[in-house]
Amino acid sequence: MIGSVFLETLKQTWKQMIYWGIGLAAMALLIVLMVPLFDMQSVATLLESFPPVILAMVGIGEDLAIFTTNEGFVAIGFFGKSALIFAVYPVVMGMRISANEEDNGTSDVLLSLPIARAQVMAEKFLAYALSMVGVVVLIYLGLHVGVVLGGVELDVARLAEVTFYLIPLMVFVMAATMLIAVLVRRRTVALGIVTAFVIISYMLQTIGAAAEGTVAESMGAISFLTYYNAGEILSQGFIWPHIAGFVGLSVVMLLASLYRYEQRDIAV
Amino acid sequence: MASGSIIEIKGLSKTYGSGSKQTAALSNLDLSVNRGEIFGYLGPNGAGKTTTIRLLLDLIRPSQGDAKIFGMDVRADSVEVHRRIGFFPAELSLWEGRSGDQIIQYVASVRGDAKGIVKHAGELAERLDLDTTKRVRDLSSGNKRKLGLVIAMMHSPELLILDEPTGGLDPLVQQTFHTMMDEYRDKGKTVFLSSHVLSEVQAICDRVGILRDGELKAVESVEKITNVEFNWVDVNFRDAVPAGLQQKLENMPTITDVSANGARVRMRMIGDFDPLLRAISDGYVESLHIEEPTLEEIFLAYYSGDKETS
Repeated sequence: MIGSVFLETLKQTWKQMIYWGIGLAAMALLIVLMVPLFDMQSVATLLESFPPVILAMVGIGEDLAIFTTNEGFVAIGFFGKSALIFAVYPVVMGMRISANEEDNGTSDVLLSLPIARAQVMAEKFLAYALSMVGVVVLIYLGLHVGVVLGGVELDVARLAEVTFYLIPLMVFVMAATMLIAVLVRRRTVALGIVTAFVIISYMLQTIGAAAEGTVAESMGAISFLTYYNAGEILSQGFIWPHIAGFVGLSVVMLLASLYRYEQRDIAV
Repeated sequence: MASGSIIEIKGLSKTYGSGSKQTAALSNLDLSVNRGEIFGYLGPNGAGKTTTIRLLLDLIRPSQGDAKIFGMDVRADSVEVHRRIGFFPAELSLWEGRSGDQIIQYVASVRGDAKGIVKHAGELAERLDLDTTKRVRDLSSGNKRKLGLVIAMMHSPELLILDEPTGGLDPLVQQTFHTMMDEYRDKGKTVFLSSHVLSEVQAICDRVGILRDGELKAVESVEKITNVEFNWVDVNFRDAVPAGLQQKLENMPTITDVSANGARVRMRMIGDFDPLLRAISDGYVESLHIEEPTLEEIFLAYYSGDKETS
């Protein structure tokens, strides 16, 4: 029946979604509570004395004015520097779409039922994508709780775009994980490749941001993390070409995964 | 499709790897299983039983050949085929964090008509003495296998494909399982049962296919395969075994495995009894026992190359 795998996946995932969401929300809350501890103007003055290369490496662009606001502090301090952490949850979920079930053998039972492989994969993908929305909503709630608890002057609405921009980023990472897992089949190998992909992307982004006008900068363009720049999003709002890129690539990787999963043997 | 065939396999082969590392798991398998029979699929580990079953379930794809179930291609029509079959995998693995009831509900909802299926699952669980409220991780391996059987049978499929289903079940549950299989046959349903427990196959199957190194060595009725040409013969003499008899028997071309113990001599004999009767006439024969080989012995005979059949 249509939707059975989707619902079951949600049932099996909601606890993890809550745990991850609470964990990340707690981090967001902590950053918000730290806001009153800093005099943003002094921080900006201090940052001005840093070489641009160093600032770029820590995700701060030339527009230091953003950083002088409370919203800018949270955007860069939390969203900008936690990109690797945000990538972990979608990797975990992406592995669950096919690799984990193949590795532990439950896919044999599931795929012996009257349901197409592609449908199983698509329903799981949608369920995990929905769980990411849940995680991001919890993060956003964490920001609100921080404001209330700390009495911090923070326009949380301005951070909505930075927060919800995480959804296409996380779905992209999950789609990439799923594709790699479908291609290599073995869970441990897939996990190794995905981990390398995320870490190398992080390195390319960091080096690329710091090395303007060099080859490294163009290498930074390869990294998916380059297209989630919290400072930029805060000042410009949703950057639709980037979002379209994440969504488009996610769809392509989903379709490629469905095709390959339909064609190949299910691992024992 | 042959008349009455539920499973029809033609030239099915499966190889793994490539180049010099290529391994044939199954070679050119031709097999048909008839409606309403319990078909035993025998072979040691690595013979290709599970490969055959995974091919039938479209979990893996053949290198050559094709297979049909209910006249439908197992790959092109996999969803429709799966609707009408129940499957129990050899390496049963279920969702550890979910309870038996939750898994039953899940599987039933994928199958549709969840209410009727869940009700029947409850009846099966009761017959197998299974507590479905426990989480899978809290179940013993035997109880996990019971849950696997419930999942395979709860929608009353027309065809059951069972891969080593009774390993780890206690004898009482095995007996219940055998009864269930008999009931299945009585309802005109079909069972494809892979096993290396030959006594089980002997007890419940109508026909047996013997697989070795990925090749089907024989397909026979259980009765016929039991009725092979050799027998075990025990001769009990009133006094000691006559001098020189053991040597004499060992030299006879139709007799092997001769062992003498006191007044008793035991041997494996092929063909007519007359040469044996003449050979033992030197002594006073108190009794003579003829014992048909067990299926285990027939099985071993196939594997040792004693008997090659089509």
